[in-house]
Amino acid sequence: MEMITVKGLKKNFGELEVLKGIDLSVQKGDVVAVLGPSGSGKSTFLRCLIDLEEAEGGSIYIEGSPLLEEGKYIPKKQRRELLYKMGMVFQHFNLFPHMSVRDNLILAPLLHKQGSKQELINKANEMLKTVSLAQKLNDMPKSLSGGQKQRIAIARALMQNPDILLFDEPTSALDPELTGEVLRVIKRLAQEKMTMVIVTHEINFAREAANKVLFMDEGYVLAFGTPEEVIDNNKSERIKNFFAKLDTK
Amino acid sequence: MPLNEWIPQMAQGCLLTLKLFAVTIVFSVPLGLLLTFLYTSKNRVVTKIIALYILLMRGTPLLLQIFFVYFGLPYLPVIGKYVTINSRFVAGAVAFIFNYAAYFAEIFRGGLLSVDKGQYEAAKVLGLSETQTRFKIVLPQMFRISLPAVSNEAIILIKDTALVTAIGLVDLLKVTKTIVNKTTNVSAFLVATLFYLVMSYILTLVFKFLEKKFDY
Ligand SMILES: Nc1ncnc2c1ncn2[C@@H]1O[C@H](COP(=O)(O)OP(=O)(O)OP(=O)(O)O)[C@@H](O)[C@H]1O
Ligand SMILES: [Mg+2]
Repeated sequence: MEMITVKGLKKNFGELEVLKGIDLSVQKGDVVAVLGPSGSGKSTFLRCLIDLEEAEGGSIYIEGSPLLEEGKYIPKKQRRELLYKMGMVFQHFNLFPHMSVRDNLILAPLLHKQGSKQELINKANEMLKTVSLAQKLNDMPKSLSGGQKQRIAIARALMQNPDILLFDEPTSALDPELTGEVLRVIKRLAQEKMTMVIVTHEINFAREAANKVLFMDEGYVLAFGTPEEVIDNNKSERIKNFFAKLDTK
Repeated sequence: MPLNEWIPQMAQGCLLTLKLFAVTIVFSVPLGLLLTFLYTSKNRVVTKIIALYILLMRGTPLLLQIFFVYFGLPYLPVIGKYVTINSRFVAGAVAFIFNYAAYFAEIFRGGLLSVDKGQYEAAKVLGLSETQTRFKIVLPQMFRISLPAVSNEAIILIKDTALVTAIGLVDLLKVTKTIVNKTTNVSAFLVATLFYLVMSYILTLVFKFLEKKFDY
């Protein structure tokens, strides 16, 4: 089943053309790593998928339903329901600092009437186990480490029973020794066949966890294929240069 | 006149000071919040009107505003006879409420601007409506950010209340002055100082407690 379909997606910031016609098809269970140089439009692309940015042209379909069709958006009211099928995890976690971990987790599903408060608290407990933070239900975000915060953010996204998860550099704001615990959680989700699109600079993680790699450059898709095809055996000079530079770092 | 006669009189004056303070806080904080909402709305005309209102309230002396409410309102054309306020206390309170609401509006607006953009994005991605986002995510954080500035404003208010002596209300300062005039003993001023200090100190403690409580 086609989970995300993007055709000719265009996005400008004023004069600046950031996305110049992106095409992508994500199948159920795909884990797509989005790679590319800084400023190539990776974040903007992800943000367009979940309606944090409005595109100027092209089409976006979520599980076959249009969000954007040939440059025209569906009405705002209908977008909310469609977009709730997707969860997103941000670079800076964006937990709600005034709420406990528990309230961060149950807020959205409670408002969407996905269960009674008690049911959702039980579910929150289960989710915390899947991100290995079983004891943290009543903690405030402030008291958590960066890696713990990001795992809570993942648990929060999972609470909405998403069909698709989007990640924008989920480990870039973390100390190096804390990235592992977050990447492990994402790898486990990949094994469980969660459909995911992950913007990342972690090449090894992309190789291990992703079955597809999307390489973006200056608002275009330069390559889309398996990690071997894109990372290890690509003929494009730009792509070879990109990975050569990373290796020497 | 000995000290044990001053104290009850001064306490009486204090009571008026506290009443004025309480009434002002209770009404000007919500009014300030409403002004902030209107100020940050998308309607250009509304925004301009609120900006003008805030300029007027912050750009002219509070004393003048108190005089205007008590003496000036009846002379307004057409609506004058409907808005006349005869009670000195009500007139003073109205002036304080409208004046402080402008200050609180600016404080809250600052607080609103400091709520991280990522909070709105997280709320949107989690499918919260704009209203849910405002009340469950943005406002609690806005209050927290605004708390120190609100505390500051509240302490200024306690002292500002003394301005109402100008329209003949008998507050702590007025009582003190009367005592000093009668007894030619200036130590009443010292007692008044203590009264003000105690009130300010209690306020400081209350806000410290609130800041601790909401220290997330
Ligand atoms: N809100 C915005 N307003 C104006 N320009 C923007 C905005 N967001 C992004 N841009 C610009 O769009 C371009 C693409 O930005 P984007 O954040 O999508 O890149 P990226 O591939 O995610 O880069 P990085 O790896 O550094 O995160 C950049 O030139 C950036 O300056
Ligand atoms: Mg980015």
